[in-house]
Formats: sequence, structure tokens, C-alpha cells
Amino acid sequence: MEFRGYYRPDGKIGARNYVAIVPAVGCINNLCSHLERLIRGTVAIRHDQGCLHPPADTAQVTRTLINLGKNPNVGGALVVGLGCEMVKAEEVYEGIKATGKPVDMVVVHQIGGMIDTLAKGARALVNIVAEVSGVHREKAGLDKLVFGTKCGSSDTTSGLSSNLVTGEVCRLMTQNGGKFIQGEICDIMGGEYALKNLSVDKEQGEKIVDYVRDLYMRGYFVGADTRGCQMTAGNVAGGLTTLVEKALGANAKGDDVPIQGTLDYAEIPPDKPGRYIMNFPGHGFENLTGSAAGGAIVHLFTTGRGAPNGNPIMPTVKLCGNSKTMKTMSEHIDVDVSSIIDETETLEHAGERLYEFAVDVANGRLTKCEILNFEGMEILIKGPVM
Amino acid sequence: MTKYAKRISEKDNVVTAVADCVAGDTVTVKYKKAKTQYTCNQDVPFGHKIATVDIPKGSVIIKYGETIGSAKKDIKKGDWVHIHNVKDDYKCLDKNGKPLPGQED
Repeated sequence: MEFRGYYRPDGKIGARNYVAIVPAVGCINNLCSHLERLIRGTVAIRHDQGCLHPPADTAQVTRTLINLGKNPNVGGALVVGLGCEMVKAEEVYEGIKATGKPVDMVVVHQIGGMIDTLAKGARALVNIVAEVSGVHREKAGLDKLVFGTKCGSSDTTSGLSSNLVTGEVCRLMTQNGGKFIQGEICDIMGGEYALKNLSVDKEQGEKIVDYVRDLYMRGYFVGADTRGCQMTAGNVAGGLTTLVEKALGANAKGDDVPIQGTLDYAEIPPDKPGRYIMNFPGHGFENLTGSAAGGAIVHLFTTGRGAPNGNPIMPTVKLCGNSKTMKTMSEHIDVDVSSIIDETETLEHAGERLYEFAVDVANGRLTKCEILNFEGMEILIKGPVM
Repeated sequence: MTKYAKRISEKDNVVTAVADCVAGDTVTVKYKKAKTQYTCNQDVPFGHKIATVDIPKGSVIIKYGETIGSAKKDIKKGDWVHIHNVKDDYKCLDKNGKPLPGQED
């Protein structure tokens, strides 16, 4: 098994070779879509944030956009600003430029309107795409791989098959020196102490519990008992008895691999291999964005009933252990692990199979999300929208 | 056709059925090359749990090698294990181990 990827000037290695069009604010998404249609090899990372946030969220959105640009699947970028937004286009531009990748910037208010901005932005993109398309895949070690993970549209089979198979990959890929980013604080609720016990650093372990407390209290302030929001009638009908049981099934995506540390939303892990817990939610769009901004080049997304969504810059592998879903939703699912439920394959074997598939995707094989263009993006904010 | 149930960890005192089982059915558990069989005392639907040992009232239920709740009443080996006989003890706790507000039950 060999990984061949795109080397970036900062030493990171990507699985894709995109040029990202990065809007500083959602107001100019349309302009970014026009540029994306006009210039081959580009991908617009549309989102709805960037303005009228409390300062902490402005910082979070800025960090997310910079780190998406830093993701090694991105070879170059054009930052697009409107000119009056809270997130500063120039700060995003400088942040991505620090990697040494080709980056340019256009600001609508400075240029004066969409049409001239399109012309200037398109010309800049022609140069960036020409340069980035000249980067070719080269041999890289398996230690350069960074995978993210989440579960979505889960059912009883998730905690019994697909999550356990992903746990096998977490063990194998971190043993080989890779990094593995897990999170979904809502799903960790109930299993936070199990993860704390797996943390190599006591303070970092306590931070996982803090993430859960913070989520619980934010629910409390809007009149919800977040514990109840997690256990649905469908979960109980499916056989899940307690919140802890549900959480442990979700945590299983990392098996019992020691946890190296915690990451704030969209934070890049330190240069140390292993498993990390990021403060990202379960909701697919914000979750995948957090993972991609953290530097994941491939995401392992387990599903029971068939969650279709992916991310614009990070290939997302769907795996499923429900044989009925495999019949009805196969166009959305990359890896069938219903063999675990049928007792026709061992976890170890399925884990190796998934690992090989994920490396194949890192080497260029398209995922169903990519083939279907089933992608979306959102950035997590915590405070009120003004 | 053989009906299977899954054991996740050695420490577990429940296994999870991956077939719809009726009272009297024998389920087979494959775990680390060993095969064990249990007889269902009640109907156990797909995805639901079966006790592998007697679990007295107040004792913990273990799955994934961790405590997931406690027995509300005496549970016999082969019993269906679900919300009718398991208490969810989880509360979100503050740094001093006290429940955060809004968790009365």
C-alpha cells in the first residue's frame, strides 16, 4: 500500500489538487459560484458566515477559512472579499499565503461591482490554476495521511459494524504515523469519561469533558435537556437503551487508541501522530468543515440509513453496515461492511479493506460524494447572529 | 439459519442480537474464534441486547467494556435487556461532580 500525493510548499501532502475560491463572507457566494463555473480546476467554498458575529465567532470563521486554504488538498486560492464584512479578507489572504501556496485576493467594494471583480478574479485564477496544475503526485509515506471521521444518519448497525471498522482504521493508520481527527461532541455526551481515560494528557482529557459541559449548558440556556435531544425514539426502538451506550458506539470510531490531545474547532493538530478530539458538532456540514480545516485529506463517514453529503475540498468515504441500505442507497455508499453483521468477515479484515480503500481515495479514486457532486459547507458559530 | 448476536468486549455482560429472535431461540456469538450460545428467554428484536449472565438488581450493565447503565430489577441470563429493566444513570456533571442544572430525573 502506497500513498502518492501532491506536495505543498509547507511540506504537507494532499490527496486532491484544487484551487479554492474562498469568500470572506456569505454575501458574495454567487460571485464565487460564477468564478467556479468560469475557471476549470476551481472549487468555491461557499458558506453563510463572515459578518455580524461576536468577536469570538469572527475569529473562529477567520481561522476556519485560513485553515481550509491551508488544507493540503488545496494547491492555491483566491480570496474574495466584499469590503464591509467583519472577517477581514486580507487576514484570510495572508494566513493562506503563509503556506507558500499561490494566493490572490479581490475585494468587490475596492474594484467596484461584480462584473469587474469577476474579470479580475478570473484572470488571477487563470495564473493560479496554471501553476497548481503543474504539481504532480509523488510518493509519500502513510505517515503523511490525516483522516477525519464522523457518523451520520446512524442506526443500530453503526455501533455494531461501520464504527468498529473505522476504529480498526484509526488503530492501523495511527500505528503507521498518521493523524486521526474525531469529534461530534453531542455524540460523545455520555462517553466523555471513557475518552478522558484514553487521553495521554490529563488536562487534555478534562477538556473533552469541558466540551460536553459547554454543549450541555448551551442547550440548557435555550430550555433543552441536551441529553434528551440525543436519544431519539428511533434509537430506543432500534435497541439503544442509554445515552452512554449510544455514545460508546459513536466513540468506537477511534477504538481504544490513545488520544494525543484536543483541538478547537477547525484547529490544525500539532506535528505528532495519533488520535485527536476536535470540538466539532455532529451536524454534517459544520463537522466536515472542521475536519477539513484541521487538515484531514480524507474523511471516513459511517452511516446506517444513508447520509449523502460530503465536503467541497475533502473526499468523504461513506461506509455502511446495513444490508437493506446497501440495496436502496448504494449510489451514495463507497464501502459495504454489512459482512460484519452477517458474520461473514472479521473486523480486522474489514478494517484493512477500508484502510486500503481510503488510501486509494487519497491516491485519486473518486468517492460517491465527489462523483455525484453531493457537497455542501457551513462553518460552526457559537454566539448569536446579530 | 443460525441467528447471531455480537459481543463487543470481553468485559461485556450483554450481547446484541443481529437477527429478530423469539423466546426460545438459540443465538450464537462469535468472539475471538470462540463460539458461545445463549437461549433467549423473551422475544429480542434485531439490535436489542441479551444478558449473558445473571445481573442482580442494582448491578451494572456493561457493553463496549464500559458501564452503560444499571439493572432496575433482577435480570436473568438470556433475558432481553432494554429500558424496561435498565436505568440510565448518566448526568452531565460539573467539575466538582455535581449535576449541572436541568437534569431532575
